[in-house]
Amino acid sequence: MANVFAVQIFFIVFRECLEAVIVVSVLLSFLAQCLGQPDQDQKIYKRLVRQVWVGSLGGVAVCLIIGGAFIGVFYGLGKDIWAQSEDLWEGIFYLIATIIITIMGLALLRINKTKEKWRVKIAKALAEKSQSRRTGSRIGSWSRRYAMFILPFITTLREGVEAVVFVGGVSLGLPATAFPLPVVCGLVAGLTIGWLIYRGGNVMSIQLFLIASTSVLYLIAAGMFSKSVWSLQFHMFSAKVGSDVAEEGDGPGSYDIRESVWHVNCCNPEIDNGWDVFNAILGWQNSATYGSVISYNVYWIAIIFSVVCMLYEERTGSLPLKRELIAFMLKVPGLRSYVKRKQAVSKEEAAEIVRQGQAHLTGGILEAVASDTR
Amino acid sequence: MAQPARAVLRIVTVLLLAGWCTAKTVTYDFNVTWVTANPDGLKERKVVGINGQWPLPVIEVDKGDQLIVNMHNGLPDKNATIHFHGMYQNGTNEMDGPSMVTQCPVPPGADFTYNFTVNQNGTYWYHCHTDYCYPDGYRQAFIVHDTESYFYDEYEEEFTITLSDWYHELSEGIAPDFLSVYNPTGAEPIPNAFLFNDTLNTKIPVKPNTTYLIRLINISAFVAQYFYIEGHTFRIVEIDGVYTEPAEADTLYIAVAQRYAVLLTTKNSTDQNYAIVTVADSQLLDTIPSDLHLNNTNWLEYNANAAFDQAVMTVNDSSSLVPFDDITLVPYDHLPLYPDPDHQINVTVYMGNLLNGYGYAFLDNISYTAPKVPTLFSVLSSGDMATNSEIYGDFTHSVVLDHNDVVEIVLNNGDTGSHPFHLHGHNFQVINRAPSYGATFYDYLNGDPVPYDPNNHTAFPSAPARRDTFVLPPQGYFVIRFVADNPGVWFFHCHIDWHLAQGLGMLMVEAPTQLQERSRIPQQHYDVCAAAGVPSKGNAAGNFNNFLDLTGQNTQQPPLPGGFTSRGIVALVFSVLSAFVGIASIVVYGLSDLKFHPGKDDDVQMVVEEYHDNTPTIYDIPKSS
Repeated sequence: MANVFAVQIFFIVFRECLEAVIVVSVLLSFLAQCLGQPDQDQKIYKRLVRQVWVGSLGGVAVCLIIGGAFIGVFYGLGKDIWAQSEDLWEGIFYLIATIIITIMGLALLRINKTKEKWRVKIAKALAEKSQSRRTGSRIGSWSRRYAMFILPFITTLREGVEAVVFVGGVSLGLPATAFPLPVVCGLVAGLTIGWLIYRGGNVMSIQLFLIASTSVLYLIAAGMFSKSVWSLQFHMFSAKVGSDVAEEGDGPGSYDIRESVWHVNCCNPEIDNGWDVFNAILGWQNSATYGSVISYNVYWIAIIFSVVCMLYEERTGSLPLKRELIAFMLKVPGLRSYVKRKQAVSKEEAAEIVRQGQAHLTGGILEAVASDTR
Repeated sequence: MAQPARAVLRIVTVLLLAGWCTAKTVTYDFNVTWVTANPDGLKERKVVGINGQWPLPVIEVDKGDQLIVNMHNGLPDKNATIHFHGMYQNGTNEMDGPSMVTQCPVPPGADFTYNFTVNQNGTYWYHCHTDYCYPDGYRQAFIVHDTESYFYDEYEEEFTITLSDWYHELSEGIAPDFLSVYNPTGAEPIPNAFLFNDTLNTKIPVKPNTTYLIRLINISAFVAQYFYIEGHTFRIVEIDGVYTEPAEADTLYIAVAQRYAVLLTTKNSTDQNYAIVTVADSQLLDTIPSDLHLNNTNWLEYNANAAFDQAVMTVNDSSSLVPFDDITLVPYDHLPLYPDPDHQINVTVYMGNLLNGYGYAFLDNISYTAPKVPTLFSVLSSGDMATNSEIYGDFTHSVVLDHNDVVEIVLNNGDTGSHPFHLHGHNFQVINRAPSYGATFYDYLNGDPVPYDPNNHTAFPSAPARRDTFVLPPQGYFVIRFVADNPGVWFFHCHIDWHLAQGLGMLMVEAPTQLQERSRIPQQHYDVCAAAGVPSKGNAAGNFNNFLDLTGQNTQQPPLPGGFTSRGIVALVFSVLSAFVGIASIVVYGLSDLKFHPGKDDDVQMVVEEYHDNTPTIYDIPKSS
């Protein structure tokens, strides 16, 4: 089953798809708020709405092409190299996948925050667009005219490429057959949930769905982290043993006894049918090592710790030592700009940015578009 | 290189007067030291030399002679002994040579004198019998000439051919990689070359229309070899020192430690030379390096000016060669099948791993582990307790046999490799084996091992062949019988030296009471034990106050833990627990989102509605969060 349906790919496509839906909806909300009033030009409004849709879908389309090419090249060139020392690559790929999933996973539970983030981002972009009007160049006026196309196009493209990179990252060790099904399912699920959210479906049940998905995602990630450590250890063991390890199957000698925590001569995810699903979702190994068990537990402890920190931060507004840490990081030359960029905008600032963006939308862009229609 | 090899080949012509002489004493002084040699022309390496020479001197005696070998271990870093392979040593068990069985290992600088009477005839060999010793070159032919053999008048000249595998690395360098957690299958070290009389490309000059006695000995550590001579057949007249009725053969399979003597009559014509072909049994090799020559050609030189062509292989794999089946040979003395056994030993060969992850070899569940006291000394120091096999330890696999019992050993093979088993102090009747040599030899490989069924086997021969080393087929079995008429401690083991190091052996403690009565151990043997720091009295653990107290005995590694031990259960429980707590934390985090943002995101909501319904709505601008 893991060969036709890679669960982690499903979740990444699902998440990125949801994010794209949010972008589109935020844009549409901007338009509606600023131009959708009955006293305004409905023709221009509809035209801009169409621009948003065309831009978003265009971005997604380009992205799919890039993704297809990316994966094609990847499998065309890479497979031979990786087959040589499969365990080494599996270890590295699983590690990459774990990192990616871990970073993006919890954000899935903060859909509201995501929306807010996009509102600010888009408003910012709009504000910058209209400022560039002063240059008066032809490119400037063109980009103003099609701002509602370019913005969603660039955004969905950027998010989409990110998704492609993520999907590539988490699936490096998987066969090409594992792609199509989870990608399609992820798209369908993402669009459906996105649709439900904006149709104003039961927030509670949507959130429950997201919680369940995230839990599964982290179960997978923990298993992958454990398997990554396991594969790297196994690679070192089998490199020293030579070809004999494969010959041993499940039996004695197929594992490093000094590292073994448990070993059962069955249920090998590589050989025995069905156990590969167990392996993909829970990280099951018939031969567990100290490394694989400890890494699994450490991973969960790290997740628990992160969640506790985030909850604490949400309730109190700050973490202990956070101020000191930021102060320290601001002194480090390389980190300074990064920290500044990442520092959360306050609610008041966010409101101001959004207001500016809307003002520019009604001002600059509308003018440009209106002058074009005249 | 060529000169000593030639010397070994030199046709022995000193037989003329031998028959007239009464028994004499033949003395060899062996100073064992490291020398260097490059027998395959590929790599010069350190080898064990005797008196500064390698290849080693061939020991030659006449039947009835007393042989004395004064060995001085001049190796600075290695213990040594000598086992005279095939000698019955009846009455001189202490001269047999296996370390920790009948003597202590002879440490560097020590001397040891082997002194016994050779009341037997034929083709033998001698080799070091400590762990990882004889693959370093410490092995050579040992010939007992007999002017009274039934075929003595049929041949004009005789020569000896030794076959051997050869390693470029010292055994001490191979051993740590062999018995290692990184060699779980116990894959045997692959030789770098195969030698013929300790060299390659030998030309043996022969006269036309002449009969030769050729003695063939496989002195390898590991690999059996097929042997044939293009365009010739020969008559087998002796196996492992036992004369047989002549049997016409064209191809022999000579396992490690086995010997054949054959009569070869040369052709009339001297137009061409004929290839003597040796083919290593590649079934034994886990991998075959591309630069390893499995087939080697040497020549019967009829005409020094004619071409010496390389042999043309007729088969793709050595297993396609059909060798003569040694179980069909009939001993010349027609000694009938021994009667039904008084004592049957039924054991099975296994390969497996123990707790340290190393690959070990087992007879049933015991991997032979040398005791703290050589077992012969345990017999001699234990008085009445000697007949109790417990005192020899739990891991020496000792079986006590009564004097003159007929003993039957049923050896089943639970392993996929073939194993040449050797019994010290005896030759044995080979009465059953399956599968037999030839096309069916590997038949049992597909499927489960087939054990011997006493109620369903081919008929035993009326006068079975006797030998001292017999090949156990892959996943098959063999049955042998012998009479326990030779008091002593006799090693029964696989002669693949690597397998012996893995513990593939057991001990026959034969007639211990008679052994105690007859034994006169020279003081030097005890001195050597003292020099080696090995106790020379007590049970397997070196305890002599209570011989049943085995506290401190050498033990084999414990077995691998099966499945989930408490350690595994704790680990699994903790993993499951941390996963549950982790998921719980994610759930809490997810649900808290609802608490902080109880309302729907109304503006988007409204946009969508408005977009679809086109219903005018009044907004409070600006909107935030």
